[in-house]
Amino acid sequence: MVRKLALRMLWVGLIAASGAACGGAAVPQETLTAAQAAAKGAEVGGANEDPKAQLHLKLANEQIEKAKKLIADGENEEAARVVDRAQADADLALALAQQAKALRDAKDADEQLGKLKKKLNQ
Amino acid sequence: MFRVTTSLSMLVLLGACGATLPPQELVDARKAYERASKGMSAQLAPAQLDTAKQALDKAERSFEDEGVDPPTPDLAYIAERKAMIAEAAAGKVAAERDADKADKMFKDAQLDGLDKAKSDLNRERQAGEKTKAELENEKKALSAEKVARAEAERKAAAAMASLAEVAKVKEEARGMVITLSGAVLFATGKYELLPIARDKLDEVAKALIDQGYKGILVEGHTDSKGKASDNETLSLKRAESVRTYLVSRGIPSEKIRATGLGSSRSIADNGTPDGRANNRRVEIIVEPLK
Repeated sequence: MVRKLALRMLWVGLIAASGAACGGAAVPQETLTAAQAAAKGAEVGGANEDPKAQLHLKLANEQIEKAKKLIADGENEEAARVVDRAQADADLALALAQQAKALRDAKDADEQLGKLKKKLNQ
Repeated sequence: MFRVTTSLSMLVLLGACGATLPPQELVDARKAYERASKGMSAQLAPAQLDTAKQALDKAERSFEDEGVDPPTPDLAYIAERKAMIAEAAAGKVAAERDADKADKMFKDAQLDGLDKAKSDLNRERQAGEKTKAELENEKKALSAEKVARAEAERKAAAAMASLAEVAKVKEEARGMVITLSGAVLFATGKYELLPIARDKLDEVAKALIDQGYKGILVEGHTDSKGKASDNETLSLKRAESVRTYLVSRGIPSEKIRATGLGSSRSIADNGTPDGRANNRRVEIIVEPLK
């Protein structure tokens, strides 16, 4: 009887130990760092100069903050999903910033061409 | 226990609606992908569009397996962003192409402008050289004309000096009047020119050829002896003889005419022999150019 009880306790102990070691899902530290770098990259890439890009950069940063809180609360699985969302928004912010810059450059080139043509026709 | 409850709830929902409705994120992702695949992304950003497709497929599989539960909404959210990234990438490529095209046109226009400026400059330079050559020619022509005019004036002056030796020359309002005495030109009552008259008229012709004039009028005059009508006829015939001779010496016939005035314009007393001699005359009037 005592032996049976000891065995049960051992199982409970093992299960508890494994739970403490893994904590459910792992902390998404690597993806969080990557998302933070992507948001910074979008900011440097001019995301704040275009309204749509700025919106997605804001979403990315908000989700990064949310993920940090979730990690602090031990909600790693949800944190990982939020980090993935943040990464997608940061990537989109950079793509939109680059598109906006290319459009501005094209407009500038077109204006320069127009001015030159006008000058030549005078 | 929770899972059992959820499953039961889903069964109830399925029973009520017939099928699970996709989460809003998946609806948005599908729309975004459709828009991207129908736009420029297929040509200009195929890699990004493919990534978007894979993300959407993953979200769809999750929806099939997990329904509306996580991670379906998260995967759909990401899939929508991937489709938007494909669109932005295509927009970027298109704008870069437009910019390159405008840059090329700018450079071409600059070169065209440069070529035009060069050719304008050449044309102006050539025109300048031409003008210089033309000016030189004009200068030469003017100089030659000046010499020619001086020579003509010298000749005319010489001819007038010679003329003054054989005839009386005076300036009147009607022009230069050259008066030749009838006695040296014709025999009495005749209208054929005497040989000496020809010499004198040669001098007159020489002087007239070098003069500029509008026309020449040859007037025949007689004294008052005899019938007036006879005198008029004789004066006209004498004037015509002079005209004919001058034409034969180079005076244009259309510019010279003859008239007989008889004794109507005497210049001296017809009562004396000297006076009558002076009245018998031929006057050549050189009408000046206006």
